[in-house]
Amino acid sequence: MEKAKKGLTLDTFLEYCLIMLLITAIAYIGNWIYSDFGLMESLPGILILLAIAFVGYTLSELIPFNIPSVVYISIVGLLVAMPVSPLSEAVVAYTGKVEMLPLATPVLAFAGVSMGKSWAEFKKIGWRGILVAALVMIGTFVGSAVVAQVILSMTGII
Amino acid sequence: MNKFKEIFSSWKLLITVLVIVMISERIGLLKIPIGSGSIMFLPLLYAMALGLILYLAKPVKWVNKEQTSMADKFIVIGISVFIAKVGVQSGAAIEAVIKAGPALILQELGNLGTILIALPFALLLGFKREAVGMTHSIAREPNVGFIASKYGLDSAEGRGVMIIYIVGTLIGTIFMGVMSSVLASFTPLHPFAIAMATGVGSGSMMAAASAPLVSMFPDMATEITAYAATSNLLSTADGIYMTMFIGLPLCNFLYRKLEPVLGKNRKVKTN
Repeated sequence: MEKAKKGLTLDTFLEYCLIMLLITAIAYIGNWIYSDFGLMESLPGILILLAIAFVGYTLSELIPFNIPSVVYISIVGLLVAMPVSPLSEAVVAYTGKVEMLPLATPVLAFAGVSMGKSWAEFKKIGWRGILVAALVMIGTFVGSAVVAQVILSMTGII
Repeated sequence: MNKFKEIFSSWKLLITVLVIVMISERIGLLKIPIGSGSIMFLPLLYAMALGLILYLAKPVKWVNKEQTSMADKFIVIGISVFIAKVGVQSGAAIEAVIKAGPALILQELGNLGTILIALPFALLLGFKREAVGMTHSIAREPNVGFIASKYGLDSAEGRGVMIIYIVGTLIGTIFMGVMSSVLASFTPLHPFAIAMATGVGSGSMMAAASAPLVSMFPDMATEITAYAATSNLLSTADGIYMTMFIGLPLCNFLYRKLEPVLGKNRKVKTN
C-alpha cells in the first residue's frame, strides 16, 4: 500500500537505496546463473537500471501527487530508451545483458516468505471464496485479451 | 540510523533469499507439454514456493513473523529495478506501443469482464454484499484501499475485497502464469492480445504471465514485453479511476438487478 504522507527524509532515502542495492545484488547473481551473460558483462546494465529506479523514486517523492513510484520509474525508463533519446542506443544495448525475469525472482522469494503470514487466513477462506477469486482473475484476463484482440484486428496490427 | 541496523539484522533472511534465488535460477524454465500446447514454469514461481515453504517449515526459525515485516519492505522497493527494465523495454519499442495505442487503452475496459462473469457466480454461491467487494475489480492494492475508504474493511464489502486480495496474492502469480500458457496454446487469441492482458494485475503477475509468451513466441518478444509493460503501467495509473467511476457503480447496479433473482434463499457467512 502506498503511504499517505509525502516528504523525503534522508533516512528514508538511504533506507530505500540500501534495500534496493541489496535486492539488486541478489538479482545480479541470479541473472548470471540464469543467462549466458557474465558478471562483468551485465554490470553496466544493472547500474543503469539502478540509476533509472533511483531517479524515478526521487521524482515520486519530490512531486506532490499520490502516484506510486513504479509509475515514475517506468516513465523514466521509457523516456531514456525511446529512439529519440540520445542515450537510447547505449541504454538498450547494456540493459539487454540483464534479463527481465531474474530481476523479479528475489522479489517473489520475499513475497513467498511474506505469504506465510496470510496462510492461516487463506486456509479459512474456503472453496467458495477461492472459486470466486479464480473467476475474478479469469474474467479480467480473458476480458482484456478479447477486447485487445478485437481492437488489434480492427486496427490491422494482427 | 536504526533503520540500517534493522536491515542488516535481517541478514539471515537475505542469505536465505539469495540461496532460494540461486536454486531457482539454476533450475531455469521448465516446459511441460500438454496435448498440442504447453505450460511453462518459471524460476520466480519456484522462488515464491520455496519462500513460503521455508516460512511454514518450522525448523527454519529465522524466517519468522518479525522478519516478514522486513520482507514486505523488500517487496515494495525490490520491484523498482524490475520496473526500470520493463520501462526500458517499452521505450525501445515505443513505435509499436503507439501504433497499438487504441487496443492498449480500450483493453483496460476488459476488467469489466470480471463483473459480468464473477458476480453472478458469487451470488449463486450465496455471497451477499461481499460479492460487490469481491468482483468489482481484480482487487490489487489500490482497489483494496478504495473499498476500505468507502465501506471500511470490516464491512461485508471490505471482507469480500480482502478475500480476493489474499487469494490473488497467494496464487495469483502462479495462476496468471498458467492462464497465459493455456490461452496461448489452446485458444485463437493472438500473443499480442494475451500480452496486453498480462498487465491487468501486479508487476509480478505481469512478469509471470508474459514470460511464457516470450519463450513460446521468441520472434515476437519485443512487442510482447512492450505491450505487457505498457498495459501494466496503464492499469497501475488508471486502475483506481476505473474502479471509482465504472467498476464499482456497474457492480452495484448489477447487484441490485441480479441479487433478488440469483441470491434468493442463499447465504454464506464470511465473518
